Amino acid sequence: MEEPVDTPTAILASAAVLLRERAFDDISYRALADEVGISERTIYRQYPTRAHLLAALSNWIEQTCFPLPPFVTVSDFCAAVHERFRAFDASPAYAYVGARASAISPTLDTEPAYITRAIEAMLDVAAPTLNRRDRRRVAASLRYFSSAMFWARLRTGFDLDAGEICDAFDRAVGTMLARLPDATWAER
Amino acid sequence: MTGPTAVPALSGTQRAILAAYTDLIEELGSDDVSYRVIARRAGIAERTVFRNYPTRVDLLLATAAWIEATLFAREESHSIFDIPLAIRDAMQRYDARPELAHVVAETAMRGVNGAAPSPGRAQLERLLDAEVPSLDAAQHRAVIAALSHLDSVGTWVTFRREFGMDQRDIADAAGWAAEAVLDSIRDRVAP
Repeated sequence: MEEPVDTPTAILASAAVLLRERAFDDISYRALADEVGISERTIYRQYPTRAHLLAALSNWIEQTCFPLPPFVTVSDFCAAVHERFRAFDASPAYAYVGARASAISPTLDTEPAYITRAIEAMLDVAAPTLNRRDRRRVAASLRYFSSAMFWARLRTGFDLDAGEICDAFDRAVGTMLARLPDATWAER
Repeated sequence: MTGPTAVPALSGTQRAILAAYTDLIEELGSDDVSYRVIARRAGIAERTVFRNYPTRVDLLLATAAWIEATLFAREESHSIFDIPLAIRDAMQRYDARPELAHVVAETAMRGVNGAAPSPGRAQLERLLDAEVPSLDAAQHRAVIAALSHLDSVGTWVTFRREFGMDQRDIADAAGWAAEAVLDSIRDRVAP
C-alpha cells in the first residue's frame, strides 16, 4: 500500500506523471489540479509562480529519480557522475527539468546543492594543502561539468549519448585536476 | 557564444517586440509579462505580437537569441587560445544584466527544438580546425564541448548560485577552467 502523501508532494508526483507525456510548459495548473483532484487555487497557494513549481519539481525528481551515489575519492566522484548521466539519458524529460531549474533566477534562498558540498569535501581530503583560490576554481569547475546542464548541452547541442558525454566529462575533469600541483595531493 | 552569431533576420516590428520584452523582463521578471503589456510598450497591437510569436516559447527563444546576439555579443576571437579572454569578458556582461542572464540560461536548457545551448560552437570548430587540426575525433569533441560549456551563461549562473562568487571570482574561475582545457592542446598547434 502506498503511504499517504501531503498536498505539495502529491502535486509534484502528479506533475512528474504529466511530464512523461508533455513538456513542462504544456502542464497547466488546471490540468495539474484535475490530475491531483484538488482545486487550481490550492496549487497556486503552494506554488505561486511556475518558477516555484519548476524549482520544487526539480528537487523532487532529483531526490526520487536521480539520487547521487555517495563519493569520497575522485574516481568515485567520476563514477557517480557517470551513473547520473546514464540515468539522465534514460529519463531525458526529467533531466531537462533539472537542467532548467538550475538555470532560473532562484525563487527562494536556495542552499547550494548537495553535490557542491560533496565536491568541496572530496577536495579537502584529496588535496589538503591546496590554496584557497585554486580550490574554489577547481571545485566550481568540477561542479559545473558534473551538472545536468552539461548533460543537456551535449545532448541537445551536440547530439551525444551518455557514453560520449561521460567521455567528454572525464577529459574535462582530467585537464582541471592536472593543473593542481602534485605536492598538494594527499596521495596519487 | 563567441563572435557574431547567426540570428535570423528580424523585421523592424520583431526587433521592437524583442526589445520591449527585454526591457520588461528587467523591470518585472519573465513570468509576469503579458502580451498586452509587451504590445503597449512596443507601440503595436497585441495581435501583431501573436502573429509574430504565436506562443510564449516562440517569444522566449527569439528573445534569448536576440539578447545573446546584441547585449551579450562579444568581440570575435582570432585564436582558440584567446577564448579564455572572451569568456572573462562575457561573465562581466552577464553580471551587469542578471535577470536577462537567467532568462538566456533557462531558455538554452529547455531541450526543445530551437533552443540553442551552444551558439558559439561553429566558431570554436573553425578556430580549432585551423590551429590544432591533428586531434582525433574524441579529443576534438571534448575540447569543443568543454569550451562551449564554459563559454555560456550557465557558468555565470552556476558559479554564482552554488559558490556565491562575485563577478571577479566568476570571471577568474571560468577563465582558469578554459585555460585548463587548452592545456591539453597547447603543444599541438600546427606549424
